[in-house]
Formats: sequence, structure tokens, C-alpha cells
Amino acid sequence: MVGYRHHQRKKTGDEMQKVGDFKLPHFFNYPPYFTLQPVRDTREKQVQLWKELILDYCRSQKIFIIGLDEDFPLFTNPVIERTLSHEAREVFLSALVSEGRAEWIDKGHKKCLILWLRIQDWADCILNFVKENGFEDGVMTVEEIRSGIESRGTELAGIDRTVLMRALRLLEQKGKATIFKGTSADDEGVKFSA
Amino acid sequence: MRRRPGISGLQTAAAARDQYRLLGENVAKIRTDLMKEQLVTFRSQLEEFARKHKNDIRKNPAFRSQFHEMCAKVGVDPLASNKGFWAELLGIGDFYYELGVQIVEICLATRSHNGGLINLQELCTLLCQRRKTARDSVSEDDCLRAISKLKALGSGFEVISVGKKKLVRSVPTELNKDHNAILELAQAHGYVTVEEVEKQLLWSSGRAVDTLETLLKEGLSMIDDGHRDGKRRYWFPCVASASAALGTEALKT
Repeated sequence: MVGYRHHQRKKTGDEMQKVGDFKLPHFFNYPPYFTLQPVRDTREKQVQLWKELILDYCRSQKIFIIGLDEDFPLFTNPVIERTLSHEAREVFLSALVSEGRAEWIDKGHKKCLILWLRIQDWADCILNFVKENGFEDGVMTVEEIRSGIESRGTELAGIDRTVLMRALRLLEQKGKATIFKGTSADDEGVKFSA
Repeated sequence: MRRRPGISGLQTAAAARDQYRLLGENVAKIRTDLMKEQLVTFRSQLEEFARKHKNDIRKNPAFRSQFHEMCAKVGVDPLASNKGFWAELLGIGDFYYELGVQIVEICLATRSHNGGLINLQELCTLLCQRRKTARDSVSEDDCLRAISKLKALGSGFEVISVGKKKLVRSVPTELNKDHNAILELAQAHGYVTVEEVEKQLLWSSGRAVDTLETLLKEGLSMIDDGHRDGKRRYWFPCVASASAALGTEALKT
């Protein structure tokens, strides 16, 4: 059984193209998916596939912000020599925005915040983290949540500061946390109350 | 002296006719009985054969195909009804109905990608993946049989031949000769350009563009403007190999 599974993995590894340790889906190698499709049904399918790919990729690589005019591994496939046009990038990201899975950071739609977890989910994630580590009624700095030893290996490690603050503020509204100014000017502290 | 026809002569003739008829009926009856007997024997032989090779028929696609051929030759359709003797004995009726349902599911799941036209080979691969059985347990022949049963539903499932490939159509789109010609041309690289169509098929530019636009609208084609040469390519997921894997992804979601 083990041998068989090993064989399977090797096979898929050979077939699929990868960026780092992320396996790219097969449609990524099919050139027309890099051109916005004019026919409605086909376009819907195309947008759906791209939305899923962007979320999966950002989650696996912990990417929170995509710059539309910057080099982004998903926007170009050197193997088939195709690049998404600016319009296509905006269409796919806008589709995520309309579903609440992304937000435009600027009015010019140049930068996009990707919420592979919604703020609410991030808040739940923090609560779990707090419970697991026994930080109920304890105090932590925001920086500690992002890069402390406890968060290492969890979804919270390396979380975008803006996203984290919004999740914390949501918890504050629910009376489960209190945010206060920390000792250093650029850091803030949180007191959890489970 | 010539005898004139009399009443008794006519009666004799009528009696003889009756005798002949009776005899004839008897002979016919004996023949029919004999035939019936032979048929019964044959049927029981076929049944015995089927019973004996039940497992082979179920498990081995090549054997199954040959069994079907044999049945077809003697005018027996084991798939005619799910309640008949054959279905009860072999359960192959269920097998094909199940295949049919799975084929419909795959066609629906991949429709947005391929416009409702799928390569038979690819369909078969997806079917095997979906059934999670050994790759050779469902043959293309089985797929064809299951699809032929789907026709009874009037759902517009049809197998069409384009070039060397067999494509399964699950949408009511009528493909005319022009469409087929393009699909055949696309089998070489998975795509065509207007220029290629004009050159290879010796068509006017208008005819090429019209046909390609129709295929595009039907969802059978996708455009690709990303090539360096700037020429628009019309890709056909139904003939491209890359779509096989794509189909599996579609099924997962």
C-alpha cells in the first residue's frame, strides 16, 4: 500500500507543474484560460477556476496582497508562454471581491487584499489559538500573535497585520478581546477574555 | 369413352385436398416443434454458457464485448429489459444502467468546459477514475453500449465520429459537415486558426469565421489571443488531451 501511494505521488508530481511546493491545476497549462472568454458560460467556468486557484495559492503561500501590475507567479505561465492581461487580472480579482473573498486596497484597483479566510474565520482561528495555548485572560502583543513561537506552524504565522487587526477588532466588538496601546509606539497589546 | 365429371369425382378431389392440407399442417407443426425444441436447447445452452462464465462476463471487458456480439448474432439482447432472465442471471442490465448514469454525470460536470462534446477515450478514463476500479474494467465498447441505452430516454446522447476519434455529444447541438471538418482539423494540435482553416479546407474567410464563431457560441471552443504571433487560436477542449485532467477537477467540486 505504501509503495503504491508513493508511486501515485511520483506520477502526479511528474505530470503537474509546480510553483514551489504548490501543485498547479491542469487548466493552468491550457492556453485559452489566459484569454478572457467572450461566451458567458465559458467565461463563468473560467472565472470560477481562476478564483479557486488564486485562493488556494495565496493560502498555501500565505500571500495576502496581490499587486495587479507586479510579477505574480499565477499571472504568467512561462511553459506555455501565456500571460494574463491586466483586464483579466482585474476580472478574476473583482469576482473574488464580489464574493467577499478579497478587497481592493486602493481606488485604482492596483492592489488587492486576498481573504482566503474571511475576517470572521480569522477571528475564530485566533480564539482557537488562544484556547489551545491557554492564553485566556492573558495578554499578548499583536506582533507575538503574528510571529511568536506559539503561532509557528499555525495558520496565524505571518498573518497580514491589517487582517489581524480587523479580526481582533471583531473580537473586541464581541467582548472577547480588548486592544490597548503597547509599551513600544508601533505595537499594540491584546487582552483576551474567554 | 371420356368420363364426365360427376359429383363423386368432385368429392374425391375435395377429400384429397383436405388430406393434403392436414398432412401439410402436420409437417409444419412437427417442424415448428422441432425448431422450438432446438431454440429451447440453444437458449439453455446459452444460459448455461452465461452462467458458467458469469464472472468473466462481469469482469472482463473483452469477454463481455464478445458475449454481446454472440448474443446479437442470434438475436438476443441481454440489455433489452432489466427484468428479463438475462438481467437476473448476469446483472449486466444494472451494470449498464449504472454506467449510463455515471456517463450522464460526467458529461454534465464537464459540460461547461467542453461544451457538451467529449472524447470517448477521455470519457472512458474519467469513468474508470470515478468508479475507482482497475483501468481496464470498463471498455470503450461498454461506454458505447451504455450510451446506446441512453438514447431510449431521448436525451440526445449520441456518438459521432470525427476523423479518427469518437466524440460523445450530450447537448442537442447539431454538428454539420463544416463543424466536423474543423473538429477534425483541430485534432492535430488541439486548436486551429482562421488562416489554417482557410488554407487546409480551402474555405472562404467568411465561412471559416462563421463556423468558428458558431462553435465558440456553442461553448465547444475557447479563444486564445495570447500567442506571440498575435493570431487568434480556437482551442477545442473536446479533442485536447489536457482536458482529461480538467474533467476530474470539475468532478471533484
